[in-house]
Amino acid sequence: MYRSQELCVTGQRLSDTNTYSPRSEGKVTDFRIIGKPVPRHDARDKVLGLARYAEDFSLPGMLFAKVMRSQYASAKIESIDTSIAEKLPGVKAVLTARDVPKNETVAQFGRSSTERGFESIYRVLADRKVHYIGEPVALVAADTEETAERAVNLIKVKYESLPAVFDPLLAMEAGAPQVEDGRSNIITHFEVVKGNIDEGFSEADVIVENTYQVPFVDHAYMETECGVAWVDDDGVITLRVSTQVIDHFRSVADILGLPHNQVRIIAPYVGGGFGGKEDITVESFIALLAYKTRKPVKLVYSREESILCHSKRHPYILEYKVGAKRDGRLTALKVRLVSDAGAYAYLSPWVLLYSTGAATGPYRIPHVRVDGYTVLTNNIYTSANRGFGAPQVCFAYESQMDELAASLNMDPCEIRMINYLSQGESLAFGQILKTHVALPETTKRAYEALGKKVPSQGGMRRGRGIASGMTSYGRMLFLHDTSRSHVSIEMDGSVTIRAGIQDIGGGQASSLCQIAAEILGVPLKDVKIYIGDTALTPLSGMTTATRQLCMSGNATLMAAKEVRKTLLKKAGELMREDPETLDLVDREVIANEDPEKRLDIVDVVRACAAEGLPLYHLALYKAPSRDLTQIERIEGDIFADFTYGSHAVEVAVDLETGKVTVLKVIACYDVGKAINPQSVEGQMEGGAIYGLGYALTEEVIIQEGVIKTPSLSEYLVPTSLDIPKVQTILLESGDGTGPFGAKGVGEPSVNSIAPAISNAVYDAVGIRIRGLPLTLEKVMRAIGEKESPHPGSKTNIATSDSVGRNQARQNLLKGQAKDSSDLERR
Amino acid sequence: MEYFRPKNFNESLRYLGKLKSKATLIAGGPIVIPDIRAKILTPNALVDISYVKDISYVKEEKKTIRVGGLTTISELASSNIIEKCAPVLSEAAREFGNPLVRNRATMGGNLADASPAADTATPLLVLGGMVVVEKHGAKSRQIPIEQFFVGPNRTVLKPGEVIREIIFPKPGRYARMAYTKFGLRNAMAISVVSLAVLVEIEDRACNKARIGFGAVAPRPIRAYRTEEMLTGNEVTRELIAECCEMVKKEISPISDIRASAEYREWMASVLLKGLLQQIFKEK
Amino acid sequence: MKEKKTYSLEFMVNGEREKVEIRPGETLLYVLRERLGHTEVKEGCGKVDCGACAVLLDGRVVNACLTLALQANKKKVVTVRGIGTPERPHPLQESFIKHGAIQCGFCTPGMIVTAKALLDENRRPTREEVRRAISGNLCRCTGYKKTVDAILSVAEKKESV
Repeated sequence: MYRSQELCVTGQRLSDTNTYSPRSEGKVTDFRIIGKPVPRHDARDKVLGLARYAEDFSLPGMLFAKVMRSQYASAKIESIDTSIAEKLPGVKAVLTARDVPKNETVAQFGRSSTERGFESIYRVLADRKVHYIGEPVALVAADTEETAERAVNLIKVKYESLPAVFDPLLAMEAGAPQVEDGRSNIITHFEVVKGNIDEGFSEADVIVENTYQVPFVDHAYMETECGVAWVDDDGVITLRVSTQVIDHFRSVADILGLPHNQVRIIAPYVGGGFGGKEDITVESFIALLAYKTRKPVKLVYSREESILCHSKRHPYILEYKVGAKRDGRLTALKVRLVSDAGAYAYLSPWVLLYSTGAATGPYRIPHVRVDGYTVLTNNIYTSANRGFGAPQVCFAYESQMDELAASLNMDPCEIRMINYLSQGESLAFGQILKTHVALPETTKRAYEALGKKVPSQGGMRRGRGIASGMTSYGRMLFLHDTSRSHVSIEMDGSVTIRAGIQDIGGGQASSLCQIAAEILGVPLKDVKIYIGDTALTPLSGMTTATRQLCMSGNATLMAAKEVRKTLLKKAGELMREDPETLDLVDREVIANEDPEKRLDIVDVVRACAAEGLPLYHLALYKAPSRDLTQIERIEGDIFADFTYGSHAVEVAVDLETGKVTVLKVIACYDVGKAINPQSVEGQMEGGAIYGLGYALTEEVIIQEGVIKTPSLSEYLVPTSLDIPKVQTILLESGDGTGPFGAKGVGEPSVNSIAPAISNAVYDAVGIRIRGLPLTLEKVMRAIGEKESPHPGSKTNIATSDSVGRNQARQNLLKGQAKDSSDLERR
Repeated sequence: MEYFRPKNFNESLRYLGKLKSKATLIAGGPIVIPDIRAKILTPNALVDISYVKDISYVKEEKKTIRVGGLTTISELASSNIIEKCAPVLSEAAREFGNPLVRNRATMGGNLADASPAADTATPLLVLGGMVVVEKHGAKSRQIPIEQFFVGPNRTVLKPGEVIREIIFPKPGRYARMAYTKFGLRNAMAISVVSLAVLVEIEDRACNKARIGFGAVAPRPIRAYRTEEMLTGNEVTRELIAECCEMVKKEISPISDIRASAEYREWMASVLLKGLLQQIFKEK
Repeated sequence: MKEKKTYSLEFMVNGEREKVEIRPGETLLYVLRERLGHTEVKEGCGKVDCGACAVLLDGRVVNACLTLALQANKKKVVTVRGIGTPERPHPLQESFIKHGAIQCGFCTPGMIVTAKALLDENRRPTREEVRRAISGNLCRCTGYKKTVDAILSVAEKKESV
């Protein structure tokens, strides 16, 4: 009998696979492979240097592509002269917007007779106007990279400079330059309304009001955007590209004016995605050039090009006003969010929706008003980045909780415990939390794991901080998400999975192999998976929204179970046993009652084949879904489930330099069920460092639309010498929507570390920094200001931090911020 | 582009003399190759001296240390002679760039590049380094390190001139020295401020003091007035504090994306205090 | 005007002799990847900021992106494929797999090369020394913890590496 059944359903089981000490094998389950820290199947090829990424692929006669990009943030294109470039020997194609069959796509969502909805414009190449520095204007394909680059420099574009706007608050004002002609700069507005906000504040004994700010951030994956396209048999435009979404084949087909079945996208192993390869990157370009030249075309972005022109994480201005009673209970929350969408909408509205819904955090608040705006500017466009709008608001709400605790003289853990939502309660927009909310446990466990407090010494002040988050996994319900997986068993008993997933390093493919191996009772090494090919694998959907494990994992589980059913039914006939009493173990069918009775799986397979029984199954998994009648006010269920977790952090702040050294990080998450605990730890450890960079050193500095951090020398991600001791504690409630009760952890693992660090800095030196990153200088200035707050004092170095902040915006916010010195800290 | 691989130092000088401004010298590559990639440099010819063995050495003589221009940073970092006689230079070498680039970057290359934050420059400033430069058909020049840098990425090197070696006197037995580099992260960080200090202590007084800074002026500099304050005096807590104030007047940092001028000024004095306290620990 | 003059490059790559005509400006990274098919050497940044292109050059770990290919003439280059093979993986490679130190895998070849260079020079590094040695190799996925664990695990063993 397959024993996993009892653990699959929702339950209150809270077993602890504490991975800090040797794992307790088999303590909780009878699984053979699920729940085991097995090596990933892709690890071998990668470590031997045999894995071929998108850039490692070449075809005979291949051309090299280069993109010509705008150097203006806002300008009219008066003329483009490609004649000289075209004549350069070796150049095979020079394309501009007029050469693109469908250059512009307008996606509309949520529009109805009463609702405005929002629109997202995608342009392959700029036509009449350029909207940001780096916008693609022309494409070149040539026989060598060098020739292509020379040709790009020979393209003559006449620009007429136009007014530009770089500050989202200014862009919201009447009279601001329109980024997109004929359209408001405000792409959309979302709101959450609960109760009566004024009543809520009148009930409060204490009110804390602050404005927070988070910057543009780069994904900085080690593999830049790249791909090869060619015209295959029957004229099929085939792309092999580093992407998180092979489903873009439809858009590519539309752009080329071809039927969808004439475009094929293959995703090999991707060298990091993090949301940066969720939108179309090089696909349109290589497809167009291959289509026009009828030759293979390769395009690889340099690091500088990648930083210049691919999407960034949304900067936000977050205005938070929270009210609470003296005993710590929250009474009211008012939030205004403004995100900088950059020059094109891309996924900005969706990121905003996530943020607006998540703005309250995991807290019980009777009166809530959240207004979120996403605004076009002439900066680089912003889109998905690990967390998708959740880390930004988490920084704000978790800082606010600590500020509240300080003003009430309460312990930060205690104030959170009082206010955490529990299972059965609802979020401000009405969604009831149907599964276990593990936050009290994660908070307690994380904080306790910090251990005994070490006293501060001299100028190095120690401090501790805690922060929690709830992050959705799986896509929004009204998107009607589905996934497909095809599982088959071969004549020799080996197993094949075909699933169109994109593996970006999170072990997406590997988990499916574990599931199939478990259900079909074969060793992991006997499972082969084919991934990411729109022609040859069933579509499993994008690798985004931390959805792959629950969606494709469930589809694979369903498919494997059907194959298992067929095998066991036949085995039952052959062994004259009830199939319900049989199990598949180690390539054999065994009778549970009488383990001596066994049958080789190959014999069962052959018997099935002889009768023409299907030895495969294609399963479709449908996520829970709903329809929306309107979109602007967020109401009801938006997500299927959430992952809950906490970060506890210990820091040392150098009073003389402002340097924040993170000494220890404890990440405690309820992961539902760890299909592969080692993989889950890896996500949590990696997520913690991804978030650490966000907290301390990462910022794409943009001034007047110009990126001042063009390479990895200026854009600083953590190195091996910047990491703290990281300890991960995995809790397993079994309450996830994924296979065996698994939850997703890829994005949730980033959420709360930045505010945990900021809270720890407050604990250490009593200063509150409300803008990320917590650079040395920012911290130093805040320390200086705290020690001698008189203006003109020698040590009071002026509190403006990074260069080039817009004075006009500061004036705008003066009326809304409670404490004017907050402004200057920006 | 043409490529020449001279067999020895004199041959490399001859090539440069012949090719004149059409040629770019390449040693380890960390400067030249990225510049070619970024189209800052478009040479007609490359003269590759990375195979020239006769200027790759660390030699200890009776009163001086001589380091060949082609000595790599990692060779500097692991040299017993440098560790023994001039640990301030070993320390700088260990903090340079990243572990991989240290195996290619050379001392001569680092100096010739003349970044205001050049890692080997600040130790050489306090060691009293002399840059020995040669050119085909001309006399060898010895340029004190203080006069070697003119501005950001500019030196007194004339076309065709190549750094043969750097020499400095062996610090005396009363010498104490220290180095620190401060950046925005713990590895692979371009300096916000770098500092080297060398003092000679006899009894409780400071006989000689040399203070060298990087990244706080258009070129690596010495803080002469601050040095004067220390020289000949007993070093007390108060004197250190005064030095930290004086040093702010001697530097001229800029504001850039890494740090503001103010912060650099602040850090220069904080780091100086730290190093002086470290050196004069017993005070 | 640049001349397209080529020069002869003769060197050893993973124990095999290679001879190829190249232009002077071509980096070792370019020649290894594009001319000799060693796509295991990755380009992450092209300017020494990331370490993805790490190779051994006469036993020393260097960034292939800032070494001219001609500077490898008559020298020995070793990439990750020269450190271990499918038939005989190196203990470092086995350890990386075992410790889960590989996620997207893009930084992995460079990490293995750097780790090999470390163990060749210092057979028993401390945790701090390992972190220092790989501080020029960026990783965006793992947070470095399992990578350091994997390298230390080999450092603590008796077998030859």
